[in-house]
Amino acid sequence: MLFRRAALGFIAMMLAAAPAATQTIATSRGPDQVGVTVYRAPFRPPSERINLQWLNGFALITETRRVSIPAGEVDIRFEGVAGGILPESAIVTGLPSGVVEKNQDAYLLSPGSLIDASLGRRVHLRRTSRATGAVREVEAVVRSSAQGGVVLETEAGVEALRCTGLAETVTYERVPPGLAAKPTLSVRVRSERAAEATVTLSYLASGFDWQANYVAELSPDGKRMDLFAWLTLANADETGFRNANANAVAGRLNRSSHGGIRPRAEPLRLECWPMGTTSDVLQSMPISAVGGEEIVVTGSRIARADLASAPPPPPPPPPPMMAQQEELGDLKLYRIPEPVTVAAKSQKQVAFLDRDRVKVESLYRQRISVQDTSIRPVMRVITTRNSTAEGLGLPLPAGRVVLFAKGEARPVLIGQGSIGDNSVGEDVEIDVGAASAVTAQITSGPRPSRGGPIVAVPAFNQEWELTVSNAHPYPIRFEAELEPGDRKINSATALGRRDGRPLWAVTVPANGRATLRYSLNPSS
Amino acid sequence: MRHVLLLSSVLILPVAASAQPGPGNLAVTIYNDNLALVQDTRQLNLPSGRSRQEFPNVSGQIQPETVTLGASDVSIVEQNFDFDLLSPGKLMEKAVGEEITLVRTNPATGAEERERARVLAVNGGVVLQIGNRIEVLRDDGLPVRVIFDKVPDNLRARPTLSVTLNSARGGTRPVTLSYLTGGMGWKADYVTLFDEQKGVIDVQGWVTLTNQTGTTFEGADTLLVAGNVAQNGQQQYYDPRQRRMMGGYPPPPPPPPPPGNRPGIETPGRESLGEFYLYPLKERTTIANQQTKQVSFLDVTGAAARRAFVFRNGWLQTQDQASSASSVLQFSSSRNAGLGDALPAGTVRVYMKDARGNAQFVGENQIGHTPMGSDIAIATGEAFDVKVQPVMEQRERVNDSRWRTRMRYTLTNASPRAVTVDLIQSGLSGDTRIAAESQKSSRRSADEAMWRVNVPANGEATVTATFDTRY
Repeated sequence: MLFRRAALGFIAMMLAAAPAATQTIATSRGPDQVGVTVYRAPFRPPSERINLQWLNGFALITETRRVSIPAGEVDIRFEGVAGGILPESAIVTGLPSGVVEKNQDAYLLSPGSLIDASLGRRVHLRRTSRATGAVREVEAVVRSSAQGGVVLETEAGVEALRCTGLAETVTYERVPPGLAAKPTLSVRVRSERAAEATVTLSYLASGFDWQANYVAELSPDGKRMDLFAWLTLANADETGFRNANANAVAGRLNRSSHGGIRPRAEPLRLECWPMGTTSDVLQSMPISAVGGEEIVVTGSRIARADLASAPPPPPPPPPPMMAQQEELGDLKLYRIPEPVTVAAKSQKQVAFLDRDRVKVESLYRQRISVQDTSIRPVMRVITTRNSTAEGLGLPLPAGRVVLFAKGEARPVLIGQGSIGDNSVGEDVEIDVGAASAVTAQITSGPRPSRGGPIVAVPAFNQEWELTVSNAHPYPIRFEAELEPGDRKINSATALGRRDGRPLWAVTVPANGRATLRYSLNPSS
Repeated sequence: MRHVLLLSSVLILPVAASAQPGPGNLAVTIYNDNLALVQDTRQLNLPSGRSRQEFPNVSGQIQPETVTLGASDVSIVEQNFDFDLLSPGKLMEKAVGEEITLVRTNPATGAEERERARVLAVNGGVVLQIGNRIEVLRDDGLPVRVIFDKVPDNLRARPTLSVTLNSARGGTRPVTLSYLTGGMGWKADYVTLFDEQKGVIDVQGWVTLTNQTGTTFEGADTLLVAGNVAQNGQQQYYDPRQRRMMGGYPPPPPPPPPPGNRPGIETPGRESLGEFYLYPLKERTTIANQQTKQVSFLDVTGAAARRAFVFRNGWLQTQDQASSASSVLQFSSSRNAGLGDALPAGTVRVYMKDARGNAQFVGENQIGHTPMGSDIAIATGEAFDVKVQPVMEQRERVNDSRWRTRMRYTLTNASPRAVTVDLIQSGLSGDTRIAAESQKSSRRSADEAMWRVNVPANGEATVTATFDTRY
């Protein structure tokens, strides 16, 4: 009898495993070594900060895994890959024998998919008496999909799950084949003999981003600037990477992938027939009410756990670990020299630049339409050249700049700007913000005669004055890029040119004014 | 023991009745545009005369109007596609006028009490007639099990195809069901490792097929067809997925392809069918629901490739800041100097090795269906160190209908190697001539002029041109 039962059990196992009988499964639980290269969101402007809730950059994850491969046809399943994996980008190298196919299964194990995958199969319906606590279990066959309620066939007839008011649930003997907790990447190989292999798996994954964050401190005379920069990496994936070789790539890459199949985890929506009654008192549905409460409690628990596990703020520098820059084709790669942990749902900062006493020039400027008397506020700009002579001369990836002035007791925040990807030899310009002590004004003459009517004077005969006022107790540099439209500017003052526009560059004395007088002629 | 036996027979029989038994042969032909042809051959025992056959395991996205059924000595009476899905609500609605069984449970003792009831109406609530009284189901909130005698015939767990056949004879024979379905498609993915020093690429081509039909196709004989099949009314001009992926920063419309693309005229040693190239999978495979499957079809090492730079100025205008030139990878699909195959449409991902020898991603782009022998140029991204700033120096009116525009282009190269940039000025359509230029341009089209500009290592180059335009 014992033998017979064992034999039966064996046959049952054979039957259950029948579809997958031709191949075995080797599982790789996680990477032994991992590299993460983070790429910036291609269309995020440099001035926009990273939104940790909505990361549009991506990463190339390179994992080294030890896998023991049995002989025959084997499915090697890679667990613990990033959730944002783009499956068609997966590359697997290092397998001793040929890859038959690569698969990514995104049909997930969930209450709904359990029902759907059990359609037409036998499950157990368990009822617990609220009065006595007695448990009764009957067998049932699933007759409907999980959409819109579950219909079961039992010995008694056809019933709907949880429309009775009884404490009842469906239990299953095993997880139906093909359902996994997370989207799972697998590779089917055929090998003649068993082998241990070191496999490299690399893939692109969404949900990452990075940017440079510059902290600049301006000397009291405004001639020098200490520039320090953080490489800020963000990972919104639920997968963390321990002791990872982390890199970031600067420069804009072309992306055209749409993303693969979105994982599908069917919810179980238990709907019943209309439940209206003769009373409008809210029908108590104890089960769903309890369920709702539970969701709230778990939610808050998770939130608290997240807070607790959030990484501590980065310690203050001396001496900071510096990411090293190297060339990668037409891009710049920043390598964090030591393995670091890129935790799930976290942001990480490593320094990559620290230059003292960079030569800068502080100036004020505005682009001015020569016939428009309403001028936008004058902007304060810190400029320098990205060269070794000025104390820089290295690629500056795009990011935000926070500018402090060295005050007497404490640094004073004077503005926040941004720079785009800046290569060696380019001009660096940081917009600090609108100036309040430097103003520009356009007035038009000649003045209307006293008491008389205002005579419309043709614009090209008119005299115009552009006046800059400096309320600072020190002289400042002011630059006006003039936009003449289709007019020509006539002025006794010599004008320069920049980017095809006339340029008036002037030093305004301390607590003084400077004036440009001009008239306009029609061009040619 | 008897009870268990009885139960199992009750339970197993209906399952066997609805499933179509017999070893089958499943063939799937997948096209690029989210379209597949499924040919499902099963051994069916058909009785003589009329019979109704159900096919519950067809694709969830079947186009029922495309179904054909082939078997010997059989004619089709009618085909039905039932999509009235079984749910508790539907079950109750269909039970109006029928009798059901109620099992009431005493909340205090757990004792059960059975009675039969007739469903009078299901409008907002369920109204029952029990003997001589009328009552609303579960009006008192106490537990009541409702047991239906059977599942109504036309309520199904999944959309189900049923065919009524008229068979001239009884007996088992192969029956082939074929239909088109959406939800399955394929594209190519190319893994390209670029060695800039050697000027070569290693390319692995994978076909990537996806199944979102809701159905798993077991052991399918799979054939992939490269080419665009006309689908009436299903032309996709707009892909909402793109919008979703890019999130808050919508990408600009794709720029025109860089210079260096030329269609080929060679014929590969591939199986083809009219306009289509065929990519049969070597062996039967199971295409699971919600699965992305990749199978290799191309593996080439050491094909020639080179890096080029392209900058396109859209209009005769100033750009306030220098912006990066596109970095373009050029290669060929020819037999002698290239990949030596026709390339189905898909994504080319380019990798380069970093200082430690690890492959790093440097950009990707799409290619269309590309004949063998083509020259291919794809923009992979922007060059950090190669920038161009166009400046409009002057625009003056020559006479009533002509303007003269002087442009200056400053090209900078911060890298320690000399580069050549294809500088393109577009927006020249209409009567635009180049009156003077600092180096000879070539006119790519009425709209575009191009200069090949050598920019020295860590250096700068300038191009000036004067355009004479009639308005």
